[in-house]
Amino acid sequence: MANPAERRKLEPWQDPKAAPYVRIDHVTKKFGDVYAVDDVSLDIFQGEFFSLLGSSGCGKSTLLRMLAGLERPSAGRIYIDGADVTDIPAYSRPVNMMFQSYALFPHMTVEQNVEFGLKQDRMPRKERAERVGEMLALLQISELRRRKPDQLSGGQRQRVALARTLAKHPKLLLLDEPLGALDKRLRESAQFELVNLQERIGITFVTVTHDQEEAMTMSTRIAVMNAGQILQVDTPTAIYEYPEYRFVADFIGLVNLFDGRVVETQDDQVLIESSLGRRMHMRDLHPHAIGTPVTVAIRPEKLQICATYQENGINQVKGVVEDIAYLGDVSIYRVRVSPEMLVEMTLTNVHPRTEQALTWGQEVAMEWSPTSGVVLTE
Amino acid sequence: MNRSRWKLYLFLAVGLAFLYIPVLLLVIYSFNESRLVTVWSGFSTKWYGELLHNRQLLDAAWLSVRIAATNATFAVILGTLAANALVRHGNFRGRTGFQLLLAAPLVMPEVITGLSLLLLFVTMEHTVGWPAGRGFTTITIAHITFSTAFVAVVVRSRLSQMDRSLEEAAMDLGARPLRVYMSITLPLIAPALLSGWLLAFTLSLDDLVISSFVAGPGSTTLPMVVYSSVRMGVSPQINALASIVVLIVSVAVLVAGLLSMRQQPAAKAN
Repeated sequence: MANPAERRKLEPWQDPKAAPYVRIDHVTKKFGDVYAVDDVSLDIFQGEFFSLLGSSGCGKSTLLRMLAGLERPSAGRIYIDGADVTDIPAYSRPVNMMFQSYALFPHMTVEQNVEFGLKQDRMPRKERAERVGEMLALLQISELRRRKPDQLSGGQRQRVALARTLAKHPKLLLLDEPLGALDKRLRESAQFELVNLQERIGITFVTVTHDQEEAMTMSTRIAVMNAGQILQVDTPTAIYEYPEYRFVADFIGLVNLFDGRVVETQDDQVLIESSLGRRMHMRDLHPHAIGTPVTVAIRPEKLQICATYQENGINQVKGVVEDIAYLGDVSIYRVRVSPEMLVEMTLTNVHPRTEQALTWGQEVAMEWSPTSGVVLTE
Repeated sequence: MNRSRWKLYLFLAVGLAFLYIPVLLLVIYSFNESRLVTVWSGFSTKWYGELLHNRQLLDAAWLSVRIAATNATFAVILGTLAANALVRHGNFRGRTGFQLLLAAPLVMPEVITGLSLLLLFVTMEHTVGWPAGRGFTTITIAHITFSTAFVAVVVRSRLSQMDRSLEEAAMDLGARPLRVYMSITLPLIAPALLSGWLLAFTLSLDDLVISSFVAGPGSTTLPMVVYSSVRMGVSPQINALASIVVLIVSVAVLVAGLLSMRQQPAAKAN
């Protein structure tokens, strides 16, 4: 395990003395009467690969566009590297953005596209040519330099767009759905490439995505947004294992939500009477008072087949397999535990499908441990 | 299925014949030897030769071309500005009104446009002393008023198809708004500007009604000469002239069409 000093270097958000690189301070953006971004505050640190995650219309793109200077906040301030950039127009910010559509200039070659930003800075011709060559080499697209955007494949366009945004050596790179226009297989390899690239050049990345898998794989931290607000900012692991809101738990991956009420507490342990009539014993990081209505969130892979089911057993539920989704490596079993509730359980397919233990219509009991889920209130 | 296709071709042929046989006849008779326009007496190109010596016609043609070119240039500038305002400036105050006023010349009867412009020019001459008399300037201004509307329509559709993020990307890369317009927007809408220019040029070259209202002595445009000479009895020279005009106009339309078609795949690519 890394010592605390090293850990702070890797996770600057843990260090109370670290200065944020980007500070979004109570920023609000209204379009007419609609709040696209509603009083958002956020600190992003140097070298982070930060993701804004949310469904469409949650305000994540608007927030990104405000960082780029393409939208003006209705209220609040934005600081980059300590300087207030709120009133600085897009063309003077030390920030570059990769657009979802890539926005390559169709009347220019790859080379001219990459060179465009450098020309605006009046960089001398020789230096410009060098930088362009460097960028094309970095993204391995040197042989495409004379092509026009309509002669490129989706993956090639994405590289050109990246080269163009990186050419100016921005302090901060913004990416709007960077992989959204690629097909699934290309997307997976592009994810790793993007992360490697970011680690190599050390620029702070802020990306916007609606794809939770993408956010989980690439990010140092994720901000989950809903209805213009940030619900939770955390590392991918913490977001997945310790969501603080039902929305977050539900948005990231699959989750089983059991409603109930606290009946007993001791230190960080709680006993919950669920609406299914079963009792659940959980560790509760934010202890709740007796009588509080709560929701127990358990991920499907944390459930196990229970060998010793008891009528009043704790952390156990029983039902009938209704649906099986076979995904190759794992199968998702949907188990009817009450007329209103289906529980999802993921099991690794250790044996070939024909030899699986569970089948449709079979009765199955499931259990979990007190530390494999979280207790939520809202 | 083959039978119905055969019928479709027939309909197409009838439709095209209806539209183009008159023009074709006009071109054929321009090579007629006879002085009588409707009687064929043999092939000849003599009317084209005579046309070259008809000072009055040539002067009128030159005037028309000058008016058309000046008109087209101004119409493209104004029409592009108008299209920009409509597409790029959101819902500004009076947008609907502006849009209506811009489209009005498209549907306004020419007689009314012509008459009202004549009144305007006469009043202006009395009050501010400009434009002095009627001629090249007044005809050109009159043509600009309606050509602008056509150019605005063409440029506007092109502009609204354009991906907004292209301009944002340019700005993000450090280009100031004017620079963005010159190096990104203009090159991308250039085909629309060119076809708008050609459209305005052709509209002006054709115009008879409005020109007649605002023209003065010594500023007779080509359509006016043609019209008055037809009234005095058609000379085959007119046929020859008309054939040349048809040729020029069809080349212009063809070029404009090709340009806007060529640009389509590029626009889709992004």
